[in-house]
Amino acid sequence: MNSNIPFLNASIAQALDYTAPILFAALGGVMSENAGVVNIALEGMMRFAAFFGVWGSFVSGNAWVGLLWGVGIGIVLGALHAYITVKWAGDQIISGVAINVMAMGMITYLLESIFKTTGYSPPVAYFGAPASKIHLAFLKDIPILGAFAELTILIWLALILVVVLHFVLYHTVLGLRIRAVGENPHAAETLGVNVFKIKWFAVISGSVLAAFGGLALSLGTLSSFTNSMAMGKGFIGLAAMIFGKWTPFGALGAILIFAGAQVLQLFMQGTATGFAKLIPLGFYLSLPYMLTIGALIGVVGKAVGPASDGVPYKKES
Amino acid sequence: MKDVLKRVVFGKREKYWWMNALVPLVSILLAFIVGAIFIKITGRSPVVAYKLLFGASGLFPGPYWKSHFAEMLIASSMYIATGFGFAIAAKGGLFNIGAEGHFIVGGIAAAYLGYAKPFAGLPKFIHLPLIIVGVMLAGGIWGAIAGYLKAKRGIHEVITTIMLNWIALYLIEAWLVIGPMEAAVETGISGTPYISLSAKLPKILPPTRLNISIIIILAVTFLIWYLFYKTTFGYEIRTMGHTLIFGMEAPKAAGINVERRTIQTMFIAGAVAALGGAFMVLGVLFQYPPIFEGGYGFDGIAVALIGQNEPLGVVLAGILIGALRTGATTVQLAHIPKTFPSIIEGFTVGFIALQMLIRYWIMKLIQGRKKSVQTEMGEDAK
Repeated sequence: MNSNIPFLNASIAQALDYTAPILFAALGGVMSENAGVVNIALEGMMRFAAFFGVWGSFVSGNAWVGLLWGVGIGIVLGALHAYITVKWAGDQIISGVAINVMAMGMITYLLESIFKTTGYSPPVAYFGAPASKIHLAFLKDIPILGAFAELTILIWLALILVVVLHFVLYHTVLGLRIRAVGENPHAAETLGVNVFKIKWFAVISGSVLAAFGGLALSLGTLSSFTNSMAMGKGFIGLAAMIFGKWTPFGALGAILIFAGAQVLQLFMQGTATGFAKLIPLGFYLSLPYMLTIGALIGVVGKAVGPASDGVPYKKES
Repeated sequence: MKDVLKRVVFGKREKYWWMNALVPLVSILLAFIVGAIFIKITGRSPVVAYKLLFGASGLFPGPYWKSHFAEMLIASSMYIATGFGFAIAAKGGLFNIGAEGHFIVGGIAAAYLGYAKPFAGLPKFIHLPLIIVGVMLAGGIWGAIAGYLKAKRGIHEVITTIMLNWIALYLIEAWLVIGPMEAAVETGISGTPYISLSAKLPKILPPTRLNISIIIILAVTFLIWYLFYKTTFGYEIRTMGHTLIFGMEAPKAAGINVERRTIQTMFIAGAVAALGGAFMVLGVLFQYPPIFEGGYGFDGIAVALIGQNEPLGVVLAGILIGALRTGATTVQLAHIPKTFPSIIEGFTVGFIALQMLIRYWIMKLIQGRKKSVQTEMGEDAK
């Protein structure tokens, strides 16, 4: 029995490692959509930030500088999304698609211009190096908790942010305003809330969260940027946010189910015997996605977002 | 200024209908300008890059025009198909990002029906239509799953289409292609077996690779236009699309079976997007390879948006993207990565998102001109 503990802890740690980037993206979505702005650009923002993080770390030799670069590009992209959707009441989906498409082209372009490689960057200083992980040695031999003994700072940040965001959204005036703007901007306006300001804030802070998601990939798990790295993670974060009914803890729950399925899939592939071995790999790989749909059908049911989510706000004049 | 803005926003249906065509054109133009600035910043010559890009795009006559033109149409027909995958759903107020999944489902269906025994011996004029119908059914059903879950369970189509993309990808590429549908070992082929001769799309411009896919998709475009603008069915779907953001009450009150229409819309969207995958298999690759060259589904979203979800617009946008991608490989001669066109694609979509601003600019330009004309005339009168 004892020999299973390290294995269990390693599996959970692996699941957490998988969770962090998607969780950041989902929280970014929670922030933005509670203020009524859909952000399907999470994917592209992750990609941009993952690249800029590596670029910053490459130039400076310091992962923290990379982090700042990533946050910087997150702010820029958030401002762009807000400028289009809030200032000019542009279509939020179109704006998001634009950022996603640009992320595909521009990053490959920059990758080849800066690093003279196709598809990947050289390794740089990152947070996943043993020295920069957060060590909690006393947890090491405890089942389940042991998984938390050696995590990167970004994973901890993602987990803490769930609590912080929950507190901000549901226990502060700012959170009340954000949700009011997402539910009924006209009513919020009557109560003296500056709808545009709140939306700008929510979109930009949401983009910064998504940027952290990208950073968790390139500077957290890997130590370099690869072209296929963000593949779909931003979209899965988006799905997790809807699955979790637009709440921070809901999103976390959704992603944990997802990550659990992912780890289970790796486990089944590695050690399955008998009947389980006969099931083709494709089924295991698609299991997390099938589970998500299954859970939505069986458990969660109808997903209802903030009432004016996706509707551009125009002042009546 | 408020007056101008008001007219721009509310008057577009009647007086300034041409705005709907002008805005995408201006967006494309602006995107090319920004693209040029971007190239300039990174230290290359935009003139050389654009010369290479357009020279090989197939849009303009040149040394290898015939083959570039053919390649452009081959690519365009696939972009148009996936563009419709998004546009058709969008007409009904649905956000379908599952075109990527429909595309590969269409590809695998085409490959199977193309090589499998009972079909492979049929004459071409039976075999080919049979494959097309089979492909559209397969893609349609894959699309209808998301439509069904939306209609009956209220599950947001964004999640289901994303999830179905991945499920399709893994089931096909990590099971079918390396399992039941794998070519026999002794043939030395990776991926599925090659399709039979009777399944290949006929060529129309030898010696180039151009095949009838562009004709098929143009015929489909006409059908889609007819469906949406000439039938009650299309009218109902457009009604749903217009009112969806305010809840589904209005169309329901008007007696539209919203649930059924939602499923049908997703079926049609999936069926048309799947055609793109079939074009790839039946006209270009002749098998389903171990790893499909993807991305057509996601570019389809951009195509639909540039084309403003209108049938003719989608065709023109599909040709634009097809041309950019065809010319893309040559920009490498100017030491510019061949993904450069997707930067332009991104900026175009970005400016289309900013159409309010562009409309405002155009209106200001027109009105400013009118005013100056008026003052001139006024001065003359004096």
